[in-house]
Amino acid sequence: MTNYLIRRIIQMFFVIMLAALFTYFLFTVSPGGPLAGIQQQQRRITREDLARLRANYELDLYWPIRFSRWLIGVPSGPIVIGGRELFADTPVGCYLPRDRQVVIQDGQQVVIPAGCDDYVYLSEIPKLHPAVKSSRGILRGDFGLSTVVRAGRPVWDEIMSRLPATLELMIISTLLSFLLGIPIGIYSAIKQYSRFDYTFTTISFIGSAMPTFFFGLLLILLFTVFPSMLQNTFPWLPHLPPGSRLAVRPYEVAPWLPRVTPGTALDHFLHLLMPVGVLTFFYMATWSRFVRSSMLEVLRQDYVRTARAKGLYERVVIVKHALRNALIPFVTVAVLTIPGFFAGAIITETVFAWPGMGRLYYDALTRSDWPIALAFIFVTALLTVIATLLGDVLYTIVDPRIKYS
Amino acid sequence: MTTVSRPILDRGRAYEDKQESQLLVVLRRFRRHKLAVISTILILFIFGVSLLAPLLAPFGRDAIDLTSPVRPAPPGTHDMAGQIHLLGIDQLGRDLFTRLLYAARVSMSIAILVVLISETFGMLLGAVAGYFGGIVDTIISRVIEFMLTIPTLPILLIISAILLRRDVVIPLPGFINRLLSGLLLAPEREAQKVVVLVLILVVFGWLGAARLMRGMALSLSKQDFVEALRAAGASDARIIFRHIIPNGLAPILVDASLALGGVIVTESALSFLGLGVQDPTPTWGNMLSTSQSYMFQHPWLPLVPGIPLVIVSIGFNFIGDGLRDALDPRLKR
Repeated sequence: MTNYLIRRIIQMFFVIMLAALFTYFLFTVSPGGPLAGIQQQQRRITREDLARLRANYELDLYWPIRFSRWLIGVPSGPIVIGGRELFADTPVGCYLPRDRQVVIQDGQQVVIPAGCDDYVYLSEIPKLHPAVKSSRGILRGDFGLSTVVRAGRPVWDEIMSRLPATLELMIISTLLSFLLGIPIGIYSAIKQYSRFDYTFTTISFIGSAMPTFFFGLLLILLFTVFPSMLQNTFPWLPHLPPGSRLAVRPYEVAPWLPRVTPGTALDHFLHLLMPVGVLTFFYMATWSRFVRSSMLEVLRQDYVRTARAKGLYERVVIVKHALRNALIPFVTVAVLTIPGFFAGAIITETVFAWPGMGRLYYDALTRSDWPIALAFIFVTALLTVIATLLGDVLYTIVDPRIKYS
Repeated sequence: MTTVSRPILDRGRAYEDKQESQLLVVLRRFRRHKLAVISTILILFIFGVSLLAPLLAPFGRDAIDLTSPVRPAPPGTHDMAGQIHLLGIDQLGRDLFTRLLYAARVSMSIAILVVLISETFGMLLGAVAGYFGGIVDTIISRVIEFMLTIPTLPILLIISAILLRRDVVIPLPGFINRLLSGLLLAPEREAQKVVVLVLILVVFGWLGAARLMRGMALSLSKQDFVEALRAAGASDARIIFRHIIPNGLAPILVDASLALGGVIVTESALSFLGLGVQDPTPTWGNMLSTSQSYMFQHPWLPLVPGIPLVIVSIGFNFIGDGLRDALDPRLKR
């Protein structure tokens, strides 16, 4: 087991590094970035201004150097051993790239890089990128500074300010979906091919196939738009707030409810209802299907028949014998929800303007705030890998038949 | 057996009497899944309508009705010439019914293309991995495992944010763009962007098929008939294409039909977030996205693209379920 764990952790490390390299590379090869279109917007920008701006985003350094600085914070200057600076005059980037305009076949002009007028040497890094402004490396817990969404603020602060909203949303909907999905799954398996089973398998089918963004819009239509349109005819219809996490001004939901003041528990609750509803429906569908199939698998086994043959009550057979084994695969898969607690639900959060992690990521992407987007991906990937390992280890604990060597 | 003494002409019929063809068995079992049958009919209808889009559409795809005093306008509005806008017009004055038809065409084409390419690719890779085993298998399996650990939606968003929001043109042979622009009935400039989206979706789409086929190939390649084929001198390519792949096709079919629904939802989600197909080209996703800003005054707007989207997405899932029941011999009743 120890050997296995060590091997897995080493593997994990490589997977994380690969994922980090892959995402970083994606951002690097991407045309555009934070400076996309700046020359169209500001025609009079000089080459020197552009170079300064590029240096601001560390774009003057070559990408492997930038990657290493982002990951572990080196190189932050020449390596000093015994008072001697090593590699001080190694070029690590290009401060003033030289461009050349090329006309391609259908008359379009394309700018291609053609050499460099002013290289950045290793000894210049402390001057160009002082330690205050640069990250100590994501592996040392420094996520760097945001460039657009909260320009100049540490990414970590921004993540911490968004995380509570996501945690609230995800934990509530995951727990609710367990509470609803597991019993439904068990009951449908016990009463296979009954009306209950058919109804709920169909519902969960619809739940997992329904696009969450449309379901979200549908809920907004049903609980916000229609009630407010029908206000003259049916004034008692409650209408829910369509988005955001907390209100700014006091608002009225229904005449039979007191006016809601922002920040109260009721305000929280009303804003949570729709996003939680969407996510719960979606997750519940997945879980009930999962539990149903693993329960059916177990119920077919010989030892269940033996238990029945012994004359045990059906309830005992199901709760003590079948259920325990049916939940083994469930435990290991349930662990995989952990990364979601951090990453949130990008689509649902966008539909309901929920100020969580998913929306932060979406904002960062559309506004080219690479440090935030990279930090999000990195932490999500890390959590995914850890959760996978945790699932595998839990498997040996809940099911002693399985041994890793 | 009395077939030997029968005249040759009768033999075929006698055979049919005793044993239906495989296809008929599958069809008969598929028919039992009522929701799958209903879904098939609905999807075929939508598919047919999308094929006939240019004939059925009362207006041009991007034609703007300037005569309407309000935009968006509700279903049943007339234009100056007295022609009716069946589902109303959008915020720019374009006929929603027309755009819906074209959007069906775009969404369906993307889904079918992505699924065809990625299932074929995954199937081949999986078959090769499972059949040859060893180092080939290790490499392919590791790649699949790695791809599965990356969170798909965030990465899809990155790639499409990078590729679609700037004017990136991937150098591709001209016939691909022409083919796609014919398929989507959209100008080549728009088709170029759709090609990018298709490629992105394929990159993450082949994993399921590859895993399924690898498993099948792994167990099939250990069976006696493969051994016999090898002894008879069949080449590896022949064994893979003529024996392994046809034998492992059933789960791939189920996977493909589920994937069709999945791809349609993913594409619409990307377009909904503004990172998929861009506006002049209509898809259900970007129609929903624009309708979101107007839904408080015009609540029918999100329903127009939303309802067909839901029908198709759920429909493909039911078809997949029906196919699974029909193709799985263990469930033979």
